[in-house]
Amino acid sequence: MFEVLFYLLIFPGFLFLYLCSWLFEFLDRKLLARFQRRIGPPWYQPLADLIKLFSKEDLMPQGANEVVAIALPIVSLCAVLTAGIYVPVAGFSPESFEGDLIIVLFLLSIPTLAYYLAGVTSVGIYSLLGGARSLLQFFSYEVPLLIALSGPAVLAGSWSIQEIIARQSETGAFLLFQPLGFLLAMIGLIGKLKRDPLDIPKAKSEVVAGSLTEFTGVKLGFWHLVMNIQAVVGIFLIINLYIGWTSAGNPLLNISIFLIQWLAMILLLSTASAVFARLRIDQLAGLGWKILVPLSLLQLTVVILMGV
Amino acid sequence: MKEKITIPIGPQHPLLKEPISLRIDASGEEVLGGTLRLGYVHRGIEKLAESRTYTQNIPLIERICGICSHVHTTTFCYAVEALLGIEIPPRAQYIRALLCELERIHSHLLWLGVLAKHVGLETVFMHSWHDRELVLDIMEELSGGRVSHGINQIGGVRFDVDAEHHPMMADKMQKLHERITQFMQIFEREPSIKARTHGVAPLSADLIRQYGLAGPVARASGVDVDMRRDDPLPPYDRLDISVITHPDGDAWSRTYVRIYEIYESLLLCEKILQAIPEGNISVRARRKVPAGEVVVRSEAPRGEVVYYLRSNGTEYPARLKIRTPTLPALAIMPMQLAQIHVADIPVVLAGVDLCIACADR
Repeated sequence: MFEVLFYLLIFPGFLFLYLCSWLFEFLDRKLLARFQRRIGPPWYQPLADLIKLFSKEDLMPQGANEVVAIALPIVSLCAVLTAGIYVPVAGFSPESFEGDLIIVLFLLSIPTLAYYLAGVTSVGIYSLLGGARSLLQFFSYEVPLLIALSGPAVLAGSWSIQEIIARQSETGAFLLFQPLGFLLAMIGLIGKLKRDPLDIPKAKSEVVAGSLTEFTGVKLGFWHLVMNIQAVVGIFLIINLYIGWTSAGNPLLNISIFLIQWLAMILLLSTASAVFARLRIDQLAGLGWKILVPLSLLQLTVVILMGV
Repeated sequence: MKEKITIPIGPQHPLLKEPISLRIDASGEEVLGGTLRLGYVHRGIEKLAESRTYTQNIPLIERICGICSHVHTTTFCYAVEALLGIEIPPRAQYIRALLCELERIHSHLLWLGVLAKHVGLETVFMHSWHDRELVLDIMEELSGGRVSHGINQIGGVRFDVDAEHHPMMADKMQKLHERITQFMQIFEREPSIKARTHGVAPLSADLIRQYGLAGPVARASGVDVDMRRDDPLPPYDRLDISVITHPDGDAWSRTYVRIYEIYESLLLCEKILQAIPEGNISVRARRKVPAGEVVVRSEAPRGEVVYYLRSNGTEYPARLKIRTPTLPALAIMPMQLAQIHVADIPVVLAGVDLCIACADR
């Protein structure tokens, strides 16, 4: 009982993931700022922002569904935290079974659907547009992402993330065998996290803040928490699937390698958001279905042939 | 989502730097049309000018616009001087032109940043606004003001360009030249920018002439107009100006025209600094202006600025009419806001470089 609570609340549950998301947000904002010749925020800024949001007055527009608005960020937070428990950190996971990759992928797409619902249930034209866009975006990136992420599973012959890591420790990182799949997974992750350059559902100059335009206070704070923890878990997942590595009996080495990999991934994401312009939603749909899906199918075919 | 929705943009919206109100009719992501409401920054400057003396009017007119403040006062001063029948010393003419060109660089760099921000490329926005500081530094060294210079007076200018200014300016302009080259490379090569700006809401040369658009927007559609060459104020008649045009008329060609105009302005600044004659920088002007009327045109960063001034022989102007290039750009806006994507609205709005403060006055 105590062990379960520890897993849920401390490691790798809420507290650990929150601290990671804090570090992630800080590094991301700082790196982006340095790319843009700005100084960037101090290290405590993500926490300060959260405290500010939590202490603000909570307003809802008239006619919006209060219950749904409260439930959506909480459900999403639960989903990403649950996903976080099944994604191994430095090779450690309290719970691992055949098929946990599918569970994680399912849980990680819940926030996107909640985001869509948040858009259409809060009355506001920008929210509505943002919600519709997020759903369109979901259909554009999710299919190539899922096909790409099934590549490592097929190569390892297992749908358990722990197994995939173990397999990579023997054969070498799957990134070497499927660099295309890694690229597609990164694009998919950027789309999932609605980060630049795929921040179409919340493009400031087009739809103000997208689905979250009408959210304030605690609810908005929860949404920010969801987004950041989703980013952390998503990055963990991609590390595990493509560059996962553990050595038995040396946890310190595992942790330092995992940390370096994580920081490199954050650098990659920040660079992507600094150097590309935002795509239009129709351009993204075209990119997704005409280029990314065929490429991901090609990668999957290659992987299957490699396994034979 | 096929039913018609109305998207309000403005008077308060992250897209807008200045208040206008757009009502966009859209069906899903497709824009059907838009209507426009103006007047949020109307300050009654034209009427206000009638209750002030000509000298008092210069600070007032400088505040019409926060970006092209100098070209407004320059045009006004040339108008008053034409009525007075005085010609200002050549050195003063060159100093006025120098600041006009610096202001053009400053305005175009600012615009470049705004466009980049609207297509979601904040890095270029930050960098171009940072490089804009080089021009602002030059202007601050010359006049003491970064955007409002207070350098014009009726009969000449108030501050001289000293010998020690020359190396500082040459150094900063060299840096600027390198930076602009980088921006040009970014805009020419970066596929995500091209995807967002190529072929977006193009305007034909016929439409441009029909609506009377001027400046970079007209030149980007292949209309070869530039007041600096076509109806030059001194000293532009003594300077060789090449006018940049591009045939396409879309958002990207406007970027092309503006970036090359920055090069051209840098070149002009060099020419001005080389050709600047020695001598006085102002002459005395009478307070009372003889009765008469005059029209003076000049090339602001955004296009043609027209000043009509009528005097009744007193210290106060009888009528001052200012026509800024943003007004026709606003008139053509509803036409541009049709058959585009919602995501293209920022690009269209940024493309014509609206200056609402100029248009409303």
